[in-house]
Amino acid sequence: MKDPFVLQVNDLHIHFTADGHSVPVVRGLSYTLATGRVLAVVGESGSGKTVHALSLLGLLPPAAHVEKGEILYKGKNLLTMPENQLRTIRGRKISMIFQDPSASLNPVLTIGEQLIETLRAHRPLPPKEARKEAVQLLEQVGITQADKRLDEYPFQFSGGMCQRVMIAMALALSPDILIADEPTTALDVTIQAQIIQLIKQLQGKNGMAVIFITHNLALASQVADEVLVMYGGLCMEQAPVDELFNHPKHPYTRGLLASLVSVDAERPDRLPAIGGTPPVAGECGCGCPFAPRCSYAEAKCSHQLPPLLAQVNHRVRCWPEELP
Amino acid sequence: MFRYIVRRLLLLPVVVLGVTFLLFFLTQRLSPEMRASLYVKDPRQMGALEEVIRQYGLRDNVFKQYGRWLGQVAKGDLGYSPSANMPVSQALKEYLPATVQLALVTMILVVFFGVWFGVFSAVHKDKWQDSLARVVSVGGFSLPIFVLGLLLLMLFYGKLGWFAPGGYSFQTDLIIHGPSFKTYTGFLLVDALLNGNMRVFGDVLSHLVLPAVTLCIGSFALMVRVMRSSMLEELNKEYVRTARAKGLSPRQVVYKHAGKNAIIPVITLASIQFIRLLGGTVIVETIFDYPGIGRFGVMAAQQLDIAGILGFSLMVAVLFVLGNLLSDILYTAVDPRIRLE
Repeated sequence: MKDPFVLQVNDLHIHFTADGHSVPVVRGLSYTLATGRVLAVVGESGSGKTVHALSLLGLLPPAAHVEKGEILYKGKNLLTMPENQLRTIRGRKISMIFQDPSASLNPVLTIGEQLIETLRAHRPLPPKEARKEAVQLLEQVGITQADKRLDEYPFQFSGGMCQRVMIAMALALSPDILIADEPTTALDVTIQAQIIQLIKQLQGKNGMAVIFITHNLALASQVADEVLVMYGGLCMEQAPVDELFNHPKHPYTRGLLASLVSVDAERPDRLPAIGGTPPVAGECGCGCPFAPRCSYAEAKCSHQLPPLLAQVNHRVRCWPEELP
Repeated sequence: MFRYIVRRLLLLPVVVLGVTFLLFFLTQRLSPEMRASLYVKDPRQMGALEEVIRQYGLRDNVFKQYGRWLGQVAKGDLGYSPSANMPVSQALKEYLPATVQLALVTMILVVFFGVWFGVFSAVHKDKWQDSLARVVSVGGFSLPIFVLGLLLLMLFYGKLGWFAPGGYSFQTDLIIHGPSFKTYTGFLLVDALLNGNMRVFGDVLSHLVLPAVTLCIGSFALMVRVMRSSMLEELNKEYVRTARAKGLSPRQVVYKHAGKNAIIPVITLASIQFIRLLGGTVIVETIFDYPGIGRFGVMAAQQLDIAGILGFSLMVAVLFVLGNLLSDILYTAVDPRIRLE
């Protein structure tokens, strides 16, 4: 039987080690990703969303390590795969684009060089052919005069253009999965829309799965089929996008939705926000990390972590059963 | 790019005038008699001192004397050097290539091993390889050049007799000043190759080993440290993460991506060291009796050979500016952000 899931993450735990202390930043994350689907991972800074994404490619910073868990790409565990084999997956089967496109490109190599080396790292291509393909890739992401611009350097490109180059590079080998880590955070709003448009369009064309990491719930609603909300290294709620927006269950998700500002709605005096500050990794004891900021919190919440309970396709991690 | 070169070249006269005037002014602290006495060797001819002083205008106002010296320099006449027993310009022509040769060989060693060790150290950060590289570099850094030079001389010349001091052996001296040896560049290594004389080449190279190694050690240590920290900084940058995420090999990530950025500060350091070597291999050239301009400068200073001192300083000042220019050009070669701005 063919596995319908291109990616399966099972009980992933990631710890940071600092001064001899091991601090958990991702605690038991599990999800599945089917071919051609877009999963948005939403959370505040420090919720573990980026770290989890880096672990998918085995690119965790030296201070971090996977404590336990499984990351199955087409049934093969990436965490136990030897480095040289993992390299054949990086950039080819699973590729990634990052938050700051200008810093993510090498400043002293031409755009062409960086595109072509990606192609040639995975396919034996003569230089001329590779260049031809690079031109097509740039055209595909909407960069005009692609042939000329291949010989330019990243500093000659705007931020939005750099992100287009990053996208071209990530899609160069038609990967099965694209991980987009806050791809529009460093860009201004009009460019943001263009980049999202581009990712959606190319995703539809290539039929790849996308993990879209963002702190912006509104953005997630535009691109995702499914949304996973992270808080304090935990998955708090996961549901298909319409379900999540229409029937949010977790108080945190509700708080996030309540703080969205609509253009049409009457303007409130104060923008709604969730009171308090997000937890510092390692300092949220054994209870629900959101309890200190939660208006529905019960006594139990602060010392006992609620399990992630599933109802059909909607998973939520919360004790109070009857939320108003 | 063009503006860069022009700006550097405009700096040339400023530096040269500044350095030479300062030195000229200092030499005026010596009485005219002292300055003239160098040209009168025979004590019985002391009466001729006054003659020399008058002939060269040694009692004139310092600016007037300096102006006269400049006028001569403009005509290519740097005066006569009693310490080298030849005109200053000829002495420089003779000694400079040997120093350049020594500096180049040293720099090649320093850059090659320094960069390699630095990268090695950075890639194995905090492992034993890194500790070893750091101990070696701190050791090299703390060892004074004159101590190291003398130790090497004692061991490799005194005990083992492998490498001799000087610029070349007596036989080589006969060959290169003989009729069949043609001088093309003044650089003995190059000339030996052009003459197809491998014996001379080998001999000159073997005389370069000890001074080059001595000069190497201190610069090498600094180079390793700079390359290591620069490399560590680059390896933490986001584009390195991108390069890894693309599935490139560690070699490509380290050398092509991080390396090309990390080398930029090393270029500055290397050119500063190169300039320093050109002008200041004084100690090493003296220890190994190596016939370069450093040794010439020391002899001139010891014997109050004012023409020699001024000629030496003029040379060093010019080399200083040209060295900086070279480093700028190298910079632009590596960093497109400077080249294309």
